[in-house]
Amino acid sequence: MSWLKRLYRWVDLRIGVGEIADKELTGYLLPRNINEWYSLGSILLVAFALQVVTGMLLLVYYVPDADKAFQSVNFIMNEVPYGWLIRLCHAVGSNTMIAVLILHMLSTLVMGSYKSPRELNWVTGFLLFSLVQGISLTGYLAPWSQLSFWATTVATNSVSALPVAGPGMVEFLRGGKLVGPSTLGRFFALHVAFLPLVIGVVIAVHVFLLKRTGISTPPFGKSDTKNAWQGDSYRYESHPGGIPFFPHFALQDLTSICIYLAIFFGVVFFWPTMPFTPDAFVPADPFKTPAHIKPEWYFLANYQTLKILPNELLGLTVQGVAMTFLALIPFIDRSPERHPLKRPLFLTLVVAGIALWIGLTVWGHLS
Amino acid sequence: MTFSKASILVTTALALMLPASSPCAELPETVCIQCHASLPDKLGAPVNLWRKSIHAENGISCNSCHGGDPKNAPEAMSPARGFIGVPSEVDTPGFCGRCHPGVLKDYQASAHGKALGKGGPTCVTCHGNHDIVKASLEIINEKSCSRCHSFDRARIIRDAMQQTEAHIQGIDRRISAFQATGVDTERLGKALFAVRNSFHSLFHEVNVTRVKSESSRINAELAKLDEDLRVIEDSRAQRKVAGGVVVAGLLLVALFTHLLRKTFK
Repeated sequence: MSWLKRLYRWVDLRIGVGEIADKELTGYLLPRNINEWYSLGSILLVAFALQVVTGMLLLVYYVPDADKAFQSVNFIMNEVPYGWLIRLCHAVGSNTMIAVLILHMLSTLVMGSYKSPRELNWVTGFLLFSLVQGISLTGYLAPWSQLSFWATTVATNSVSALPVAGPGMVEFLRGGKLVGPSTLGRFFALHVAFLPLVIGVVIAVHVFLLKRTGISTPPFGKSDTKNAWQGDSYRYESHPGGIPFFPHFALQDLTSICIYLAIFFGVVFFWPTMPFTPDAFVPADPFKTPAHIKPEWYFLANYQTLKILPNELLGLTVQGVAMTFLALIPFIDRSPERHPLKRPLFLTLVVAGIALWIGLTVWGHLS
Repeated sequence: MTFSKASILVTTALALMLPASSPCAELPETVCIQCHASLPDKLGAPVNLWRKSIHAENGISCNSCHGGDPKNAPEAMSPARGFIGVPSEVDTPGFCGRCHPGVLKDYQASAHGKALGKGGPTCVTCHGNHDIVKASLEIINEKSCSRCHSFDRARIIRDAMQQTEAHIQGIDRRISAFQATGVDTERLGKALFAVRNSFHSLFHEVNVTRVKSESSRINAELAKLDEDLRVIEDSRAQRKVAGGVVVAGLLLVALFTHLLRKTFK
């Protein structure tokens, strides 16, 4: 018996790893018609892990002080061995992670996987989407560049449109009247401590809910595409006769993750300026407003909405209503049908929503 | 955890988040700009002219030249706070020369400087006052020079300097392009700044032979900068090769796992 087998046997006798593997890997059965879209969750776990690892490495040299932050990022990019790679992975990763999150939510919407009993899966997923946007926004300030400073000024300023509490909230967010060292301090704390912890907990809850409800069956390639759950008692959706997670779907996950990483590293190596504008490499200067400060691509639709509506309060209200509608969609759409082609009104709304979002994003980019 | 302990934790967390006065919080605009931007005619015009200037581009604001207090409106134009106002014609070179002492020296030694107060040009005649343009060969042009004299000699000098100027501009563009991708170009930028200043000192020179010999020396300095930039370009090319290998490797693994999954199916 090799030393590896002896080690495995020693561990197995104590904590039963073989039983866990049987239950969670080879014995974990998935629907036979499962498709590639189901691996987006695994990609997101890898993307989040990459953000955590690269973020920790950046912390070794990053100095969260308004007088030193820009220089420390400059040092990481130019002096630290492979610092440029770590920083680019972190910056590009925040963008690609949001792109995959959007795709994950869209696939869930189209396949009706948010329907009962999976309302909580959707709500926690939506919460994760909001938290990831939050962690991206707070991280944006960290390099203390012109782009960071002015984008944060614009983003925090929009809150002032809220009646009564607005101006106070802006001051609370910034830690003062203007974006300054206090803002960097609190955004840094949110970015590296509070939000990652909350995201980690919500991911754990999201995965727990997935394990308790069981994985949903895709509505494609089936004659009966209605939601079978009656709402009378708790039920784990098992898939007798399905394919095992390992090795079958684990290989699909691995394929998807490799394709994601290929695109991710393609951007890192061949389009390293994707997450930046030239202002990202100029130190923050409160006296000098750059000509065209725009938010990241995933906030461009929000930015354009605020621009085209007559006042900011209306813009914030419209966005708030849209986001609330999206967050509560499992409680609004109660029909048992899950196949998108058998839900023409829903499908039309989804397509129109995507077209509107893309249109506003492009408009925001070009404006 | 008891309620009281939880409430202490929450209160402490909220207290930490309360707005604190920031030692470095600064006003977004000087009071000079805030006030003059809304004034009509010649009192407001300098603001828009300045916004397009090389001074604005480099963060040199009103008070940098005119003195005064840029943060306190009542004291903004107080002589006690160093406010100078508009210099007279003969004081203009000294006014600009506080920050550009080398150029002042070149100017004073030049035919232009020697004619100061006798109908000769001051700095603002060629460079503008508030809409100050970057010093370049474009300033030496027929329209501008022939306001006072013939363009003939100025043309010979400008043509002799054209190639060096183009070289400097080319290196400047490459440095700016690297700077826009996060490369620390401070040392290169400073070196180019020194070379450019040395070159610009020739702008007031009227001796054609000296212009030609100095241009050769400056070109040798520029060749060193060229080499430094080439090293950066090579490292960027190497990164792309490494990136290509990584991406190709990942796609191959993806293909392999995809085929393996099909085999299991």
